[in-house]
Amino acid sequence: MLSFVARRIAVAIPTLLILIVFSFVVMFAAPGGPFDSERPLPAQVLANIEARYGLDQPYWRQIVDYVWGVVIHFDFGPSFQYRDRSVNDIIAQGFPVTLTYGIWSALVAVVVGVSLGTAAALRQNSWLDYLAVGVTIGAQALPNFVMAPVLILVFTLMLGWLPGGGWNGGQWTHVIMPVIALSTSYMASIARIMRSSMLETLNSNFIRTARAKGLPMSRVIWRHAMKPALLPVISYLGPAMVGMITGSVIVDVIFSTGGIGSYFVNSAFNRDYAVIMGITILVGALTISFNLLVDILYAWIDPKIRY
Amino acid sequence: MNILRRTLLASTAAALVGLGGTAWAQMTHPETGEPLAEVQEFTYRVLDDFPSIDPSLIQDVSGSEVGRDLFEGLLNEDAAGEPIPGVATSWEVSDDGLTYTFTLRDNAKWSNGDPVTAGDFVYSWRRAADPATASEYSWYLEVMGLENAGAVTAGEMAPDQLGVRAIDDLTLEVTIDAPRPYFPQMTTFPTTFPLHQATIEAHGDDWTRPGNMVSNGAYVLTDYVPQERLVRERNEMYWDNDNTIIDKVTALIINDENVALTRYLAGELDMTEVPTGQFPRLSQEYPDQAISFPSSCSYYYLFNHSDSGPEALNDVRVRQALSMAVDRDVIVNNILAGGQKPAYTFTHWAVAGWEQPEMDIANMTQDERNERARELITEAGYGIGGEPLTFEILYNTSDANRSIATAISQMWKQTLGVEATLANQEWSTYLDTRGNQNFEVARAAWCADYNEPSTYLDLFVSDSGYNDGKFVNADLDALMAEAKTAEDPMPLYQQVEQIASENAAIIPIYHYASVRMMSEDLENFPTENFLQNWYSKDLYISAGE
Repeated sequence: MLSFVARRIAVAIPTLLILIVFSFVVMFAAPGGPFDSERPLPAQVLANIEARYGLDQPYWRQIVDYVWGVVIHFDFGPSFQYRDRSVNDIIAQGFPVTLTYGIWSALVAVVVGVSLGTAAALRQNSWLDYLAVGVTIGAQALPNFVMAPVLILVFTLMLGWLPGGGWNGGQWTHVIMPVIALSTSYMASIARIMRSSMLETLNSNFIRTARAKGLPMSRVIWRHAMKPALLPVISYLGPAMVGMITGSVIVDVIFSTGGIGSYFVNSAFNRDYAVIMGITILVGALTISFNLLVDILYAWIDPKIRY
Repeated sequence: MNILRRTLLASTAAALVGLGGTAWAQMTHPETGEPLAEVQEFTYRVLDDFPSIDPSLIQDVSGSEVGRDLFEGLLNEDAAGEPIPGVATSWEVSDDGLTYTFTLRDNAKWSNGDPVTAGDFVYSWRRAADPATASEYSWYLEVMGLENAGAVTAGEMAPDQLGVRAIDDLTLEVTIDAPRPYFPQMTTFPTTFPLHQATIEAHGDDWTRPGNMVSNGAYVLTDYVPQERLVRERNEMYWDNDNTIIDKVTALIINDENVALTRYLAGELDMTEVPTGQFPRLSQEYPDQAISFPSSCSYYYLFNHSDSGPEALNDVRVRQALSMAVDRDVIVNNILAGGQKPAYTFTHWAVAGWEQPEMDIANMTQDERNERARELITEAGYGIGGEPLTFEILYNTSDANRSIATAISQMWKQTLGVEATLANQEWSTYLDTRGNQNFEVARAAWCADYNEPSTYLDLFVSDSGYNDGKFVNADLDALMAEAKTAEDPMPLYQQVEQIASENAAIIPIYHYASVRMMSEDLENFPTENFLQNWYSKDLYISAGE
């Protein structure tokens, strides 16, 4: 197991490097630059700015300097768009926000999704099953860019219960709507995966054996069916967790949470190279870590799997 | 001590605190006598986070709004946009018009109590010009005509060669390269605000953080959460603090304009923009809150006059026909519907002293224009019955731009039989395409830097870096050169517009309006200031009915 983890980490480093180089290439291939505006800067002014940020260097040099800064100083460089802040500042400020509502969303999605999926599977073809399937299909079909403004309309304007946006240091009233908007579609996916995998598990031989031995249904579910039924949910959760804790553009834009999600799109529009890179590396590293975590969990849950 | 006495004492103490803390509570406005609201807080929406709030680096409208609250330059603007004393109480100009001497007030203080001196201005201006600062607005000092500004920015001279020096703590001398009557007005711009050298040296790039920043304006920065909010509160050290009414100003960063409107309606904001097309409904439902006033930008379509442009567009008759066939009233009244005005000149109608010159296109009815447009395009051999004419309209991705482009392509098709296709690109790509003349017809807009027609008309000059259509006209260039030194340049500017119109250099489409929802109790917002330079210290919240 340890050697497996070590091997995976060893592979992760070149993967990240390839990711960095590839992102750089795509980034530089996009027309325009970070200091474009409707009123083009005088050549001298532009030259000063480019010199300050090292953009006057050849591309390979920029990549090498960048990687060097990241590896040696853990410095992700300055933001070109937000001149008072560095990429480290941006991540340090925005990531805790998305992490907070992301973890809550994951909790809600898993608890509700797994319960709903299990309940539906246990009462297959009953009204409960139809209701659960109906709710999950609805929840998955409703895009969050529609749901988020509707939530504000209902809870802020009509009912006046919750503030319409902002973060306010993570006060719970500010967290509720982002969590609902973000978790709903994940919850629906989890419920559907859980339902079908639970159905499959319940039909397998070892469950029939357990029941034949006269175990009560609750014990059969908790002791025997739950773990194998959760496996597909866990493999789904790997990338889904990354998606949730790095936030969502829609959630950050609509609720003005100040999270990191809004930078995904903004930094690309602004050609804010260092921010694009910082966020790409963050998401890349998290994806690799969570995939590793999923593999480890797999081995723990399913005794048939050995690395 | 018995309970009664304790309560009495406590309430007396509370009353005292109340009086001391909010001096304006239950008071009236010193000038108008209007009753003031007890809570003097102003919350408004900004579209995007601030690229910077360092005055040397501020480069956008919302950053400037913050800059004007936190810092104070030599001069401020009044509600009409005229310069009034700020840190400087008066100034003198030498006979040759090249040397300005500003006298600073002796009671101006930094938020830490230090006096504001002429040296703080010298430090700031040198910092803005210094190539090491790499300010996008270093060119502003050159536009001001500050001696050696260009050379300093180019790194050819040391920053201390800049044409600004402190004669003593309260006297600032500025040398410029040519007489510029509008020079004093230019010192209301954030790039020229003074800076506290010790603070910047102590904190480096982090000096603009709340807690670090020392500023000399009516407000100090108390909270800033990037992408969420920026809060500024009364600066007790400000020399005119006694006349400042608003205690706390909050800018909420809300990217989505519809969400901002919802939050305004829920009472979270005192001011926000009205999304395109919603003004008629809102002004009916909230007649006292939905307002529209001129905003300094002009919206237009750009022809590519250069060699890379389509040949047909080199024919002035084709360009004229295309311009005439655009029914501006439909765009203004049916698509935008927010108090914008149809445009036949590039210069915005509300520019100070501007009068629209005689122009055929402006005096015709749309039917007459369509008639004339058909004649012209037939003469040129294109359109219905002639050679088919097709090209692409380039615009940056936005709903409003798409609606307008769709309408215009329909107008061209119906009136002229011209087939125009739509092409949208995201902002940076669009700018790149436009700047390299890789387009045929492109959407564009221009906003005034100052309240004078040349802020627009300079774009028509052949060698202007902003002339993306590469329109060239020697007569026009000569007129613009003449206008620079003319006693009364207005007639010259009118001629320039006439030449541009006769040649259909561009298609002016509409003049912007600022369309907002504004709380009924928010008073004194300078809607007459053409450049919309507002200062929170001039606003107040009335008690309402």
